[in-house]
Amino acid sequence: MRNFIFVVLVVCATAHLFAQTAGSPPAVSTPATTAEVEALREEVKSLKEMVQTLQQQVKDQQSAKNNSNPPALPENPEPQTVETAGSPAPSASAPPLFPTTDTAVVTSAPPVNANGTTTFPTTDESVTATPSSVTTTDTSSSLTQPLPIIGGGNKNYMNISFDGMFALAASSERHLDRLEVGDHDPLQRGFNGRNAEIALDGAVDPYFEGFANIVLKLDNNDETEIELEEAFLQTTNLPYGLQIKAGQFFDQFGRINPTHPHTWEFADSPLVNGRLLGADGLRGAGAQIAWTLPVPWYAQFIFAVQNGRGGTGYSFRNPGEDGVFFGRMTIDRDASALHDMIYVPRLETSFNPSDTQTVLLGASGAFGMNDTGADNHTQIYGADFLYKWKSSHAEGGFPFVKWQTEAMYRRFEAGRGLDNSFPVEETFRDWGMYSQVLWGFKKGWVVGLRGDYLHMQESPFTDDDTRQSRSRISANLTWYPTEFSKIRLQYNHDFLDENDFLASRDVDSVFLQFEFILGAHGAHKF
Amino acid sequence: MKKILLILSAILSFALTSHAKLKVVATLPDLGSLAREVGGDKVEVSVLAKPTEDPHFVDARPSFVVQLRDADVLIDGGAELEIGWLPPLLQNARNPKIEVGKPGRVQASQGVRLMNVPTSATRAAGDVHALGNPHFMSDPIIAKTVAQHIAQAFSAVDAPNAAAYDANYKKFEATVNAKLQEWGTAMLPFKGQNVVAYHDSWPYFAHRFGVNIDTFLEPKPGIPPSPSHLAEVIEKMKAQKIKAIIVEPFHDRKIAERVASATGAKVVDFAQYPGALPNTDTYVKLIDALVARLSAALK
Repeated sequence: MRNFIFVVLVVCATAHLFAQTAGSPPAVSTPATTAEVEALREEVKSLKEMVQTLQQQVKDQQSAKNNSNPPALPENPEPQTVETAGSPAPSASAPPLFPTTDTAVVTSAPPVNANGTTTFPTTDESVTATPSSVTTTDTSSSLTQPLPIIGGGNKNYMNISFDGMFALAASSERHLDRLEVGDHDPLQRGFNGRNAEIALDGAVDPYFEGFANIVLKLDNNDETEIELEEAFLQTTNLPYGLQIKAGQFFDQFGRINPTHPHTWEFADSPLVNGRLLGADGLRGAGAQIAWTLPVPWYAQFIFAVQNGRGGTGYSFRNPGEDGVFFGRMTIDRDASALHDMIYVPRLETSFNPSDTQTVLLGASGAFGMNDTGADNHTQIYGADFLYKWKSSHAEGGFPFVKWQTEAMYRRFEAGRGLDNSFPVEETFRDWGMYSQVLWGFKKGWVVGLRGDYLHMQESPFTDDDTRQSRSRISANLTWYPTEFSKIRLQYNHDFLDENDFLASRDVDSVFLQFEFILGAHGAHKF
Repeated sequence: MKKILLILSAILSFALTSHAKLKVVATLPDLGSLAREVGGDKVEVSVLAKPTEDPHFVDARPSFVVQLRDADVLIDGGAELEIGWLPPLLQNARNPKIEVGKPGRVQASQGVRLMNVPTSATRAAGDVHALGNPHFMSDPIIAKTVAQHIAQAFSAVDAPNAAAYDANYKKFEATVNAKLQEWGTAMLPFKGQNVVAYHDSWPYFAHRFGVNIDTFLEPKPGIPPSPSHLAEVIEKMKAQKIKAIIVEPFHDRKIAERVASATGAKVVDFAQYPGALPNTDTYVKLIDALVARLSAALK
């Protein structure tokens, strides 16, 4: 290398000399003047000096390189400084411009050009660590600080986030709390704060992951309600595609029930979810096993067992408000046998009609006992369908079209209540569905349309405001400035039967929902 | 009976031979391209993200769960570019072979010094990645390192073919080394020139090839261009005589065109991923195309 540069320089110098002499042919015929000779001498002298200094530089570099073998790099923590460190030498000493370790490539390439720029580097230790220090995450190589590992930007043992969701509501109905069916829905005219959520998650140890969702809600008198919505651990490395979850969790029943309001595409929950699974959603303390079927397409079987008690087991062992459910005095029972628990199976499968389209189909069930009699069963069946198209040139996930439909059927054996106080036994066959289409037409902008239908079996005996057949149509426009905030304007039109509970048969409502997220934003499942 | 046996054995041997190939999943197409270079005919590579879509926002499609469940090796960026979609997929895939720390997991950013690491994390600055800018594959020297890691992982998981992986890597390295001279020479006349980009995806490319790409149509990463910001950019472009605006396939090209017509600059279609531009099915061809496009625009 050194020899090579020396040769190059000598060649340059000679060429320069030659050019000088060749450049003065008119003077050749006459004897050279003393002044000319003097000038040439000066020239040769300065060139000699230049060659010497360059030789010295090369020598210095060589020795420096030999001395600093282990950390081959000088102190250049930033990649940019490599260039700036080299650029102050635009004369002829180009070699230090880039750290090159691959001499074979460099020497075979054309050398320094007139501007002092060099041949292109093929290695650059400033951007890459040596392979040996890579495979082992060794802290001894901290001099060059390469090694960012996933999660390295977040040095906590868990992710923490806070999600604040509020809504400003206007409605032609005075009692919004009777009209809306979900616990996170706007429940009064004016401002509502029905979902302020603290979410925690992280790896517990090499075997488990942990999740917790603590929800704070403002009631209509601005008092704070607190709720442990979810808190569970989940295995991370069971074989055969198995996963076990235990704690307090939402059941994997359909599409909306397992999710938190933050991911909902409307400001309120569908009628069928609120009335068949309950205002709070179907969740509770229990355990769940999930199994990815060993087939070449996506198919998963999920099975959960829970207590199914109280408001979050709405259609099951739920004593109801003030001990009354569907007009009956309820029997608040402890679990006396396995059949008092609820069992929630789900099978879901997915396929891709094309590279930009995805379909997901699911069937769910929930089976257990209810509190309206000594031996009264409840069965709920659900089917769900999701179609999504997303552009192959999507930016920020837009544009897309998403069509989601869920249908549920409930068979509820309503007994005669506590001490057979109710005149008759009845079996309610209730069903309902919603279908919604979302169109993300531009980055950050989504329009949505939803239709809701709920059919509750009529009864001459049971008079209950939650047992009304009704339907609703909703339209909304959502703007997501980023994935951490959103503003949503929604219009609802409710069609109701003549009733004693609400003032009007047709209700118009407008919601302005706004949300913000601080901290880690959990990735969305499909 | 004999026939059935023959057919059965044929199916079985087919199943066995097809199974013998290492199943590799790459989150992004550039990583997939390197996996193909290094793996050759010994591996079967599938890629999750499409080359033309925004890599920050890929849907966690259920079919990806199956691909990850069956994978012997997973190659991901490792710098949180895929943080919005990879974690739930891995949770559902439940594949211990591709856990972080296992030989079957390559995190490409390991051993790469990321640029623009923020000193403090605030989302007021837009979509800033806490670990540093994750779009590092546009620097071919970094790509060589990543290819080397991939070769090491393949050899660790599939030792009998280690020699083949090493040979493939050496071949890739030699190709890139030779190409670097070519690319460097092509870009040399434009050293120090300013270029505008839609999104801050190109600091590594800029650093390697000596151009400055530090003006963006987005006011902050991930935030759509606003009229006032674009006015500033136009003024700056006029003052600095900037000749090129880089856009990626998923960006709003019309905005770039508007700025271009106001300043006389050219819109240059760029892409981070092989396959997003015509005739760029491999990594080397992609860099070829980028260098050709940019040098043509800067002339």
